[in-house]
Amino acid sequence: MKFRCERDLLVEALSTAGRAVTGRGGALPVLSGVKIDASNDRLEVTGSDLDLTIRTSVGVNIAESGTAVLPSRLLSDIVRSLDQGAVDLEVTGDEAQISSGRSQFAVRTLPVDDFPHLDEPSGDQVSVAADELASGLKQVVLAASSDDARPILTGVLMTAEEGGLRLVATDSYRLAVRDLPEATVLGEGQKVLVPSRALGELIRVLGHAKEVNVRLGERDVTFFVEPEDGVSVELTTRLIEGEFPNYRQLIPASYPNEMRVGREQLLDAVRRVKLMAREATPLRLTQRDGSLELMAVTQDVGQAHEEVDAVYSGTDELTVAFNPDFLIAGIEAATGDEVVLQTLDALKPAVMRSTEGSDYLYLLMPVRVS
Amino acid sequence: MYLHADLDAFYASVEQRDNPRLRGKPVIVGGGVVLAASYEAKRRGVKTAMGGRAARAVCPDAIVVPPRMDAYTTASKAVFSIFRETSPWVEGLSIDEAFLDVSGLRRLSGSPEQIAAHLRDRVRDEVGLAITVGVANTKFLAKVASGVGKPDGLLLVEPGYELAFLHPLTVERLWGVGPVTARKLNDRGLTTVAQVAQLDVGVLVGLLGKGQGQHLHALAHNLDPRPIRVGHRRGSIGSQRALGRMNPSRDESQVMLIGLVDRITRRMRRAERVGRTVVLRMRYDDFTKGTRSHTLDEATSETAPILASTRMLLNRAWPMLDERGLTMIGVSVTNLSNANAVQLTLPLGPRARPSVDSAFDEIRDKFGTNSLKRATHLGESQHSIMPMLPD
Repeated sequence: MKFRCERDLLVEALSTAGRAVTGRGGALPVLSGVKIDASNDRLEVTGSDLDLTIRTSVGVNIAESGTAVLPSRLLSDIVRSLDQGAVDLEVTGDEAQISSGRSQFAVRTLPVDDFPHLDEPSGDQVSVAADELASGLKQVVLAASSDDARPILTGVLMTAEEGGLRLVATDSYRLAVRDLPEATVLGEGQKVLVPSRALGELIRVLGHAKEVNVRLGERDVTFFVEPEDGVSVELTTRLIEGEFPNYRQLIPASYPNEMRVGREQLLDAVRRVKLMAREATPLRLTQRDGSLELMAVTQDVGQAHEEVDAVYSGTDELTVAFNPDFLIAGIEAATGDEVVLQTLDALKPAVMRSTEGSDYLYLLMPVRVS
Repeated sequence: MYLHADLDAFYASVEQRDNPRLRGKPVIVGGGVVLAASYEAKRRGVKTAMGGRAARAVCPDAIVVPPRMDAYTTASKAVFSIFRETSPWVEGLSIDEAFLDVSGLRRLSGSPEQIAAHLRDRVRDEVGLAITVGVANTKFLAKVASGVGKPDGLLLVEPGYELAFLHPLTVERLWGVGPVTARKLNDRGLTTVAQVAQLDVGVLVGLLGKGQGQHLHALAHNLDPRPIRVGHRRGSIGSQRALGRMNPSRDESQVMLIGLVDRITRRMRRAERVGRTVVLRMRYDDFTKGTRSHTLDEATSETAPILASTRMLLNRAWPMLDERGLTMIGVSVTNLSNANAVQLTLPLGPRARPSVDSAFDEIRDKFGTNSLKRATHLGESQHSIMPMLPD
């Protein structure tokens, strides 16, 4: 195998594919490497941890086609360190030569035959607008759990909803729901549970593209992104098996208390008051006519107060406490100039919404204080 | 000025207090491992944590009694309430020792020495136990003084004479110097605190590493700026049980875990603390130690989830324990926060109701710890579980 490629393109191809590589390689040492295929004037780089596979592809001049597996991190670090310009890579026997200008590296390859063979998903291909999917995923992925002890909650539920696509995630403290009415990805009644880690990676590659093609298989789903120039990316992830909790029953039908407040104003105030919410102490929000009072008290450290103008209707005066980070995530995820906070009481789920449009909902559980 | 008050041979003294026939005789508490030895037994060479057989070998006429943890807990509580009446600044170190800050009490209660003497009288009259008190201008030196003053003594290090008191002592008296460090120092010909004090701090750091080198340098000059820490909340709540050479099976270990977890969660609920990380502590046959930990989804003080997590940790560790043996088992819950601020969760699935826990607690609070037992613990006496300071 022998080819020449621009450093910047090669760095992007290697680092994007390398994001699927788990550092240690685990039970299968070859998985600490990326597979490089060179043929028909295309270079393909594949990284995988068996759950998530990312394959990047870029047009280059191939002098000699071939396949090799090289240590992902090391190769990526080497290429990144080189000066801008052309990089030559040649594999002979079990050694790869990387050279650029007067720099030369020789890197031992990993056994190609050990690299797992990955099936292509079978289903039909549908396309979705990349920016719409990216904005929806950003609002939902943040509510997914990162705790592998509860695998179901590490996923984002994708479900067909009134002809569009609905994204749902919960870590049991928050629940985020976003509707993408224009996106017809799934058939009627179809639903899949996609690992949020894979979707986090997908968000990163959606930035440069107009469209993303989705192909759904029995056990996995592939997202295919092909920008007009540069590196195209194919991201395949295993689906999570199991029943996602019935999230509909978690959303209260109505809220007696509603507060409307400027989004930036609230965000700034929460960030300030949060400085005094140390050692997992919550932020207390007292809502009353015309204003919202934020307060944080940490024993032996100090306290902070701030009042924000707000339009409030409901119970005379209501105090609800929240984890400040969960609150900030919800305010950030809501769009528009104003947000609406709807509450039942100090112990029931509250909802953060945008005043513009009703396609996003962020539900969060309070902190019980005594 | 600081007081370091330390009950003498605590468990054994409680036994001698409650049973006149034991007085003046060598007494060992604990049949398997020696939990405590009376001064008569100590003089014959019996040491705490010694194996029972070895102890009987050096002191064949020792009287071995089983531990009565409830009695020790009661005695400790009585002594600590005397501490608190003596000074508002009490820092408990364990069930039988504490630091007291008596600065500024001169007009109210007299000189530090008078306060110490009065404290000793009260503990003897009201609880019936001997307590040694060291008095000095730092916590460290007060502890050294009580060590030198034992048993049943009062030792005041007069202000201005601190170094004169400290320097002739052997290096083992310095806090943090165990057998290994002592050997390192002795190998260099350093046997007294005075010799250590003469060394440059850099030399000590080179010999013992940065942390310990600086620590010993400071102590040898009686530099100990630490104040009394009052009301400091624990970072973890735990309980452990020494097993000697019983080599428990997996089932037996599980049963012991239930007992430990029951105890810990009850203490957590009483202290209004919840925790997220469960740690299983193990000591192997060769007396080396290891831990395994698991973090829960949600901070809790409920018995069921903490027990489930502990069991899972034990099951995972079992293949290794089968090989390396188990001589001590312990559980602690860390990552603690106040139960007065609990992040609520969405009702995603069925959840065990904590009402069983509170019923358990109420019955035990009203009728005593042993009034209610799990069936798996029937016929078992609750030995070898150390009583502890309040949380």
